Amino acid sequence: MKLLLRRVGYFFLFLLFWQVAVMVLGIKEFIIPSPLKTLSHIFQPTLAAKYQWPLHIQATLMEILLSFLITAISGNLVALLISWSRALKTLITPIIVFFNSLPKIALAPLFLLWFGYGLLPNTLIAVLVAFFPIVINTSTGLEQVDEDLLNLVRYLGATKGQIYVKIKIPNALPYIFSGFKISATMCVVGSIVGEFIASDKGLGYLLKDAQAFIDTPTMFACLLLISLLGILFFGALSLLEARVLYWMPQTTGGGKG
Amino acid sequence: MHGNTPLLSIRELKKVYKTREGELEALGSVTFDIYPQEFVSIVGPSGCGKTTLLKIIAGLLPKTSGEIFVDKKQFDPSREVGFVFQKPLLLPWRKVIDNVLLPIEILKLDKRNYIEKARALLELVGLSGFENNYPNELSGGMQQRVSIARALIHDPKLILMDEPFGALDALTRERMNLELLRIWSESQKTILFVTHGIQEAIFLSDRVIILSARPSRMIKALDIELPRPRTMEVRSSAEFGVYSLEVYRCLELT
Ligand SMILES: Nc1ncnc2c1ncn2[C@@H]1O[C@H](COP(=O)(O)OP(=O)(O)OP(=O)(O)O)[C@@H](O)[C@H]1O
Ligand SMILES: [Mg+2]
Repeated sequence: MKLLLRRVGYFFLFLLFWQVAVMVLGIKEFIIPSPLKTLSHIFQPTLAAKYQWPLHIQATLMEILLSFLITAISGNLVALLISWSRALKTLITPIIVFFNSLPKIALAPLFLLWFGYGLLPNTLIAVLVAFFPIVINTSTGLEQVDEDLLNLVRYLGATKGQIYVKIKIPNALPYIFSGFKISATMCVVGSIVGEFIASDKGLGYLLKDAQAFIDTPTMFACLLLISLLGILFFGALSLLEARVLYWMPQTTGGGKG
Repeated sequence: MHGNTPLLSIRELKKVYKTREGELEALGSVTFDIYPQEFVSIVGPSGCGKTTLLKIIAGLLPKTSGEIFVDKKQFDPSREVGFVFQKPLLLPWRKVIDNVLLPIEILKLDKRNYIEKARALLELVGLSGFENNYPNELSGGMQQRVSIARALIHDPKLILMDEPFGALDALTRERMNLELLRIWSESQKTILFVTHGIQEAIFLSDRVIILSARPSRMIKALDIELPRPRTMEVRSSAEFGVYSLEVYRCLELT
């Protein structure tokens, strides 16, 4: 809690520094607008009405959450399958290595071609970017088990299912969460990139649209909101992590890897 | 002293590991009996196959040849054996009591019937009041006590212990030795105890089995006829010294 307050404090200090710097140095608004100017584009009623923030925030947020949900489920499922069966592992691993080596963002135009416009392609682009970190983290976690911990239940005749449910999966939770946090960031990036390429809604769309009019304060406002969404999402995951991993010796700080 | 049917009989047990460099003969040919409610220790040079032996008895490793009987029968280790490893191996996400109950879950027994027993066992190992703590809140010695309680929960006849106090400091270790003797006599179990500590083996045991270096054979089974209950004083007795010397001599350390 103290840490959180300190972080918020630093953030305001940074805003203050920014405001003063822009005023003192007389930087033009279309290069770097002041924070007050930026915030006025979000909160000043007439401007806010013009930009329809709730609509765009909602669009982007939907993409982020939906893509995260899809990645979290499918990524962990794939990791589980790989870990469960050696045959599946030899089958799936090369495919994963191949797709992971592709520049995934570069596939985005293709996705638009296939899936059209809006929520679906943007979500899928985000899924594509965020998928592999989860698979890799969870599979690593499922493999990182003390052999003796397995012996402990094996001599009692544990079934494979019991070994996973009682030992391997809980043991992998720290890795699973670190995968979640990495892919949460990726989901934000993927959604915005999708909106850049083709969209009629979302903060990424608005950012690009504002660029066409050299409307820098709006661009800054978009950036601010995007990072805010990212931070809130990451923070929510950290809180959940601290809840789930209560048994870990040092989760109070929140956030590692 | 003991009844005439052994609880555990090991007959010409052999273990050959197949490694990349070829075959590695860990257990040459090991034969011995353990009788009900005996406390038997195994000592031997590092790498002579003590852990291998325990793992074979527990069914964690296949034997190469030889026989193992419990009560003269082939047996199911999951019901008859409780294993205490060198590390406590507690699941950090489970409370102490749920760690003790783990074997019950694995054996698919009805947990409700064992909760009282788990509490009683925690009391036996001196940890009543810690049921709802998490392992990382306990010291190393306390964690190892939990793992002893866990090895007893499903009421196995035979407890296998592989250097359970090896990681503890000398003082805690001696205290744990006394505790273990008390637990052993109160629970009336049969214990097969592997250790590097010759003094520890003599202090605890009815019999000390001395293994040779790899491929290991039994050099000697030394009956320890020190009176029970034993206290720390026994360690400074003349007989204790004679036994130690005998073990050292067998291990060619003199
Ligand atoms: N899985 C394995 N594959 C191949 N060789 C093994 C394996 N496990 C153990 N060995 C070898 O078998 C021999 C006996 O090992 P073991 O661990 O049983 O010895 P130990 O008596 O318990 O040793 P320590 O006293 O150091 O614990 C050693 O030489 C070891 O290198
Ligand atoms: Mg060993």
